[in-house]
Amino acid sequence: MNNIRILIGILGMDQHEVAAVGIAKMLRDNGMEVIYAGCFNTPETILQAAIEEDVDVIGISSHSWEYLYYMPELMEMLQKEASPIPVVVGGSVITAKDKAALGEIGVAAVFGSGTSDAKIIGSIQKLADR
Amino acid sequence: MTRTTRTRSGINLKSNYRPDEGASETLKNDYQDNLGDPGSYPYTRGTRDNPGGGWIQRELSGEGDARRSNAQFKYLLEQGQSGVDIIGDSPTQSLMDPDHPLAKYVIGTQGVSLCCHDDYRELFDEIPIDEISISSSGPPMFTVASLYLLAKERGISPASVRGSVLQFPFYAEYCGYAYKMPFELHLRMTCDIIEFCSQEMPKFHGFLEDSYFFSEAGLNAVEEAALAFVEIRHVVRTLLNRGLDIDSFAPRIAILVNCSMDFYEEIAKIRAMRRIFARMIKEEFGAKDPRSMAVVIACHTSGLSLTTEQPANNIVRGAVQTVALGLAGIQALEISTFDEGFRTPSKEAHLVGLRTQQIVDLEANITRVQDPFGGSWFMESLTDQVEEKVLAMITDIESRGDPADLVTGGYFKQFFQGAMSRYHQNVSSGEVTKVGLNVLQVPEDEDTLLRDVSEAKFEPLLERAEQLGVFKASRDQSAVRESLLAVFKVTSSDENIMEAVISAVETGATMGEIVGVMREASGTPYDPYGHLTSPIEG
Repeated sequence: MNNIRILIGILGMDQHEVAAVGIAKMLRDNGMEVIYAGCFNTPETILQAAIEEDVDVIGISSHSWEYLYYMPELMEMLQKEASPIPVVVGGSVITAKDKAALGEIGVAAVFGSGTSDAKIIGSIQKLADR
Repeated sequence: MTRTTRTRSGINLKSNYRPDEGASETLKNDYQDNLGDPGSYPYTRGTRDNPGGGWIQRELSGEGDARRSNAQFKYLLEQGQSGVDIIGDSPTQSLMDPDHPLAKYVIGTQGVSLCCHDDYRELFDEIPIDEISISSSGPPMFTVASLYLLAKERGISPASVRGSVLQFPFYAEYCGYAYKMPFELHLRMTCDIIEFCSQEMPKFHGFLEDSYFFSEAGLNAVEEAALAFVEIRHVVRTLLNRGLDIDSFAPRIAILVNCSMDFYEEIAKIRAMRRIFARMIKEEFGAKDPRSMAVVIACHTSGLSLTTEQPANNIVRGAVQTVALGLAGIQALEISTFDEGFRTPSKEAHLVGLRTQQIVDLEANITRVQDPFGGSWFMESLTDQVEEKVLAMITDIESRGDPADLVTGGYFKQFFQGAMSRYHQNVSSGEVTKVGLNVLQVPEDEDTLLRDVSEAKFEPLLERAEQLGVFKASRDQSAVRESLLAVFKVTSSDENIMEAVISAVETGATMGEIVGVMREASGTPYDPYGHLTSPIEG
């Protein structure tokens, strides 16, 4: 089996990078290929990178409320694609209510700050296997 | 407010405790060389001799527009706050105007949106800028320009304005305040501001080294201090190369440090930093004025140490950190509030943060005896060890090449990415204990205390972009254009940029326009994100 390819990026002006960098390293250490898109992305740049890099999963890190506005845009754009790439979102700012809302627009999994590495890896593997 | 000089049982307290007259000469000499009384070289025990003086108590403020943030200042001042501290939203922190497409959904949500002099006028409306300390975590160049203009408008001397601006030319791009400009330009802005303040606003700290924000990448205390000194040393050398006298600007160097939950080491770090700074400025850079050697230390307690799980626990963390800082002796403090994991402070969190400081100061009275750990075998040993490690790390980093080349070559970027990964691993593995997060968790549905307050959101000011468009159209267009061309010209020369920037700000040019033109004059795009075109093209 080929390695799982995942894109990790942050949207808008959110510049809190500790979690994104930490998760990227952790996923690499667990055999995944991580394409790290860093900060200052828009839904357009995320989508473009995801398609160009042919990733299995898109991971968005959020420590600013901007994701509340960008995620519906990104999900709408993805659903227009022939084979929509599954999206996961992580971040401490995501409340239980927001988590449910993300589920409703089609986000496959949401990880809060206390989520274990094993759970994150398991979720991504399951999504990539589909 | 009364400050006691006695314990509750009536025992008289001295302002500090030192080796007594009968101590051996060796001990007395060692004390003089390595510790000194509070307010005496090498300032290990404190920059000033000011028993019971407390510290400037303030909480990080800024949300929505300038008007709303001004109301936050006034509320906190009514509650006994003794200075103000401003944080901009993320576009403001990155020198971006609110009409930039990338700023759209975050205007005013993680700090105040500021982009022109009118905003600063509203922000400081009825705030006595010559009486209380104005600490800005916002854009240093524009805070200084507007405070200078405001003082003139109010008929007071800019020389009477007190406060500070944060400087972070080395590390801005990697830790949350990306300026997207050539490093040389950022460093030059920093030095121009410091030089300008030393001449025009001598009570104002034009150089508050910000080791808080970059240490939030997960750095330990030694790394934080070492990187702070590498940056300070480079800025100092650059200013000396301009022909400035060290004593003309060094008295207004200050350091904003972090404070994690590692109680003893944080105290040792601050004591060691005061000593390292004093010796460095005196022995290496030749300062003669004792004020140059005594560095002011302010602190912002660690947001990274807080959790979104059980937010009420963060109040305890803030209190413990405040006690550590009171024992270490600091000049100013903001506590990261209990809702930090979600947002910039709410009104409720502001008051809890301020009351925490007031209780530690007034009820526990911990600053009545200065440097109470002084002479402790443990604390002196820890201070010595932290100092030794910090000095070794400075030497190691500087031996790798010119620090400016290390910045542009990506050395520090690697450093921070390594620290971020390490922090993640340490929390995941439990090596760093975080109550409620990796031990002693409670089920999500039981984690309700203060959750509603912490999770309350502030909607982005979507209308700000349009309002700015109206403002821009109302300006004297040719005056704005001329002033921007002047900024371009000065940026291309060796002259200090500040005067041209102040003139441009006065005509109504915005921060984004001025910085964009400075980028252009340095041979880089007006808008690094590729959305906007320059107003001076053609």
